[in-house]
Amino acid sequence: MEDKRYWKFFDELQDTAKSEKLKQEEFPEGLKSDKGFEQTQGINRRKFLALTASTAAIFATACSDYRDKGSIVPYNQQPENIQIGKPNFYASTCTSCLNHCGILIKTREGRPLKIDGNPDHPINKGKICPIGQASILNLYHPERLRKPLKKNGKSFNELNWNTLFTEILASLEKASNNGKIVAILSQPIFSPTFVKLIYMFQAKYPTTKVYTYSYLESYSKEQAWEEFYPKAKLSEFDFSRANVILAIESNFLANEGNFVRNIQDFVSKRDINRPNEFSRFYSVETDLSLTGANADYRIPLKADFHYEFLATLLNELLKRDLNYNRAIVEKIQGKFSRFNLEDFASKAGVDIKLVRNLIDDLIQNKGKTAVIAGDSHFYEVHLLCLLINEVLGNSSIYRICPQPSLPKSKLFEIEELVTLMNQGKVGVLFNLDTNPVFHFPSDLGFENALSKVESVVSFVEFESETANRSHYIVPISHNFESWGDYYDGIGLFSTIQPVIEPLFGTYQKEDFLLSLVQNKLERGIYHKYLKSNWQESYFSQEKYAVDFEKFWHSVLHDGTFELKQTLINDYTPNFELFDKIEHRFGTKDWVLVIKKPYFIGDGKFLNNGWLNELPHPITKVTWDNYAGISQSDANRLGLKNGDIVELGYGKSKLEIPIFVVPGIPSSSVVIEAGFGRKESGIVAENVGFYVGKILQFETTKKGYIFEKISLNKINKSYQIATTVEHHSLNDTFYSELHKKRHIIQEGLLEDYKNGKYHIHRPHELKSIVPEIKYTDVKWAMVIDMNKCVGCGACIMACNVENNIPVVGKDQVLRSREMQWIRVDTYFSGTAENPEVSFQTMLCQHCDDAPCENVCPVVATVHSSDGLNLMVYNRCVGTRYCSNNCPYKVRRFNFFDFRSHFKNGLLYKDTYKLANNPEVTVRSRGVMEKCTFCIQRITEARHQAIAENKPLRGNGVRTACQEACPANAITFGDMNDKESELYQLRNHKLGYYVLEELNVKPNVTYIAKLRNKKSEVGA
Amino acid sequence: MLKSQLDYILKVRVPIAAFVVVVTYIITFFVSKPERDGVGYAPEQPINFSHKLHAGDMQIDCKYCHIGVEKGRFATIPSTNICMGCHSVARKDKPEIIRLSQMFMDNIPIKWKRIHRLGDFAYFNHSVHINKGIECKYCHGEVEKMDVVQQVHRLTMGACLDCHRNPHKNMPDLKAQVSKGPEYCGSCHR
Repeated sequence: MEDKRYWKFFDELQDTAKSEKLKQEEFPEGLKSDKGFEQTQGINRRKFLALTASTAAIFATACSDYRDKGSIVPYNQQPENIQIGKPNFYASTCTSCLNHCGILIKTREGRPLKIDGNPDHPINKGKICPIGQASILNLYHPERLRKPLKKNGKSFNELNWNTLFTEILASLEKASNNGKIVAILSQPIFSPTFVKLIYMFQAKYPTTKVYTYSYLESYSKEQAWEEFYPKAKLSEFDFSRANVILAIESNFLANEGNFVRNIQDFVSKRDINRPNEFSRFYSVETDLSLTGANADYRIPLKADFHYEFLATLLNELLKRDLNYNRAIVEKIQGKFSRFNLEDFASKAGVDIKLVRNLIDDLIQNKGKTAVIAGDSHFYEVHLLCLLINEVLGNSSIYRICPQPSLPKSKLFEIEELVTLMNQGKVGVLFNLDTNPVFHFPSDLGFENALSKVESVVSFVEFESETANRSHYIVPISHNFESWGDYYDGIGLFSTIQPVIEPLFGTYQKEDFLLSLVQNKLERGIYHKYLKSNWQESYFSQEKYAVDFEKFWHSVLHDGTFELKQTLINDYTPNFELFDKIEHRFGTKDWVLVIKKPYFIGDGKFLNNGWLNELPHPITKVTWDNYAGISQSDANRLGLKNGDIVELGYGKSKLEIPIFVVPGIPSSSVVIEAGFGRKESGIVAENVGFYVGKILQFETTKKGYIFEKISLNKINKSYQIATTVEHHSLNDTFYSELHKKRHIIQEGLLEDYKNGKYHIHRPHELKSIVPEIKYTDVKWAMVIDMNKCVGCGACIMACNVENNIPVVGKDQVLRSREMQWIRVDTYFSGTAENPEVSFQTMLCQHCDDAPCENVCPVVATVHSSDGLNLMVYNRCVGTRYCSNNCPYKVRRFNFFDFRSHFKNGLLYKDTYKLANNPEVTVRSRGVMEKCTFCIQRITEARHQAIAENKPLRGNGVRTACQEACPANAITFGDMNDKESELYQLRNHKLGYYVLEELNVKPNVTYIAKLRNKKSEVGA
Repeated sequence: MLKSQLDYILKVRVPIAAFVVVVTYIITFFVSKPERDGVGYAPEQPINFSHKLHAGDMQIDCKYCHIGVEKGRFATIPSTNICMGCHSVARKDKPEIIRLSQMFMDNIPIKWKRIHRLGDFAYFNHSVHINKGIECKYCHGEVEKMDVVQQVHRLTMGACLDCHRNPHKNMPDLKAQVSKGPEYCGSCHR
């Protein structure tokens, strides 16, 4: 293992005094009350009300029966499958994004509490991303629309459902009688039954046209595919079969394609027990993405050079023996011969040895390599990727992407719609839970066109920019309150079933549309339709031994249903495209890359506190987006984090704060879109900056990379809340290496295979306290850093399971975020091209825990099964334990954050329903930390007692472990010699963080192995 | 004169007064403790249900109605349909049963007054105790002899720990099957 310099933030790299202060003080700002006591001096309105209320409370208490303990209200007719205090699980399908992962919804006494992946689902195999997990908060969001609304001037009036229905019906009839278009605008539709319903709708209202789109959609990628492989359906790579991966600005591990599946496939080639199967991953990118951070070799390259890079690569590859059709190779070679590797390397500043190495790897693993370009990229770049894959014979590791049930609209069709709207030819526009006013660049003029439509009806869960410009707002049910189905077009069905009655009496949008076909508003009508469609279309096609009801229930129970069919995709390329391809060349101009956001979907989740507070995987920024630029540019322009710059593209301008991101090449700006919503609710207020202002619709047709950008410093600044500096482990850059603390340990795969690896272990350490022997079950965890990609799913799972409050941006700025588990990102090497190491940090449940010794009230103690316990009702909040924790994993409730955040939003009636009843809701003044999910351990122990069996470790799965898409976390009993945990804990690559403190932690980290060649760039 | 009076107050009155206050406090503290802990609390229930009749005279097993007790944290107050299992046939003419049936028909859930309650921070689990063979009576008293159920034992942490630490003293007839219960905080608090 090497001795490298690791750093988390730039101050640390530059070794300034500020970084020392940050590491030594958990709350560098010190203690301040943000409400300000001076404001509440004297009798003011708030104090008067408080006094009145407390007096009333005292009287109420004095006059009531002090022994009264309330009442228990059992069911009148208890449903058979409900056992009070035990969860029920229902299989369904997540609709938070277009991946439609199979989910398992945990409900208690009829209320959904936690979302996990459906283990029987063949695609996501029991795993789910942070957005899917956090979607539970959207269900219980107090700002969900409850009553139908009708526009009245500038405001909205409440309406009853029947009036709404008749008015919409009338406007539909009017439009179709006058021959005006009824436009339905939706996300791409993957539901076969819903598509049938739309056909029925079209039959009744023949002028209906359906438009589907999704935010930041890659039209260039699909266009390139359709033109290059005209006979094949759009496909993606199966990374579990790729030996060499080259990603061009692709974020396939974080938000492109079905990333949950991609992560699983990718890490299946990162198993330390099978070192010969490791894949080698090259990433060429502008932004330092989560995917690039996991690359073995990352080449920072400005986006406009990517075409040249690929062309050069192609030219070099064609010079080698590819065993491909000679005539075609020569033809292409003619087109690309001008791209010379030496010239390119010197022009773009790329390490030529590394590129040669890449070429060798691609040739050696021909047919098992994946060259993938990111969704935001240019059409020509996608085309070149396809060509390279074709000549390398990589089509064998393609698999077909899910195909929407209704073909997606092309961008020109959206333009057509806007034209039709402007011409007044659209009578009714149905907006099915999309937000085009926010999504499309301002210059498309959707907002203006919307005002020319006779009646706009928005079917939405929350207010949005589009909904507020509609004539009618129809509040719709959440996914967890709705029926539905999904078909990926290639054999896999899954079902959506409601797990709770609509909380606010809303209708699901399908119910409403079907009612419009049948002229009568009826709840639950779509459920019947869904069933009859399944009976007709799928059940009666095959011969089943059971009747339909049984078949249907078994499908609902499993959540999925597969048709057995062989898929043939005809990968016959069309090389004629390259006759007219226009070469692109890199320039010295500024380039802006618009990326998909990590955690807020298409902006729909911006009103979700959990997702806003989930730190960005690389920069750890919460509650904002920013313009990421390189350190050299920042120094040159005299900019520091948070300084606002003005970006200009054509005539449009955008003011946005910068954030210096390591690994971004100079003259590049990277911005994540989806932020800056103005009409979304109080959580999303002032979160981020709206990029739609600067985008141009015409340019987005070709991709989301914008050339010829101007960037000017203006004298404004903004505070960005990043957690990167918080809770840093003190690892000063000692000049004496033997004193280094070895928080991150990693090495080369090559060395490991040759037995040359070395894990730093401290000398035999003596303890001053007697050792306690744990003979029975003792809990421990192993985190495999080879598998951890740093996605943050564990943090979200912990939030949901353990009732972690949202604290808000101002509190994050004071280092008071409450997440029990965090993913530390360490950089090594230079600021221009760093290597990234992730480390998931949580309570280490040390045997000799330093926190326990210092607690004056014995509120943190050890259990007989090796857990470091935190007893909330004993804690008086001295915070001494946190001070003494070397791992900085303890969190203090400076406020009752639930009532503190946005005027008690989290204490609103419905939010409370999201709390896990098995975990205490902590109040102000109490310390808390990871418990190793003690509620799950206790549950397993009680189960074992009920079954009269000894407790085994492998039955217990912590929330983070369950959620981890990479299966990097293993939990179990370290005294069980047959368990997977035991094997891993004693693996030769295992180490403890800060082992030299001799606190005997119980979380083992498996050192990361990088698949680099020692002679190239290692 | 003044001096001796002050002397008298300091030497006699103050100590006596202090003594009286302290003794009153101590006596009140201990005498009212069971009351404060809820012992003897026997509220009037919405339906005049007699455990003595059902569990005592007719010997219906507790688990017949409190169905959750072996399976989960909560013993559960029986849902009305459990009552109606018998009472749709039995004793239909009694006024309380008529009331019960009416509530069931009208789909009005019954608001039973809560008698035993632990703090929200304590996660007691019925099933684990029952599955170890510990009978209901050790915490709830002899319910089968009560017409109106009342709290008999203190349900404080001290009471829990007393039993966890000295099971054989507290449950002499279970000497063969029970051993000490867990004492670490995490077994009840999480």
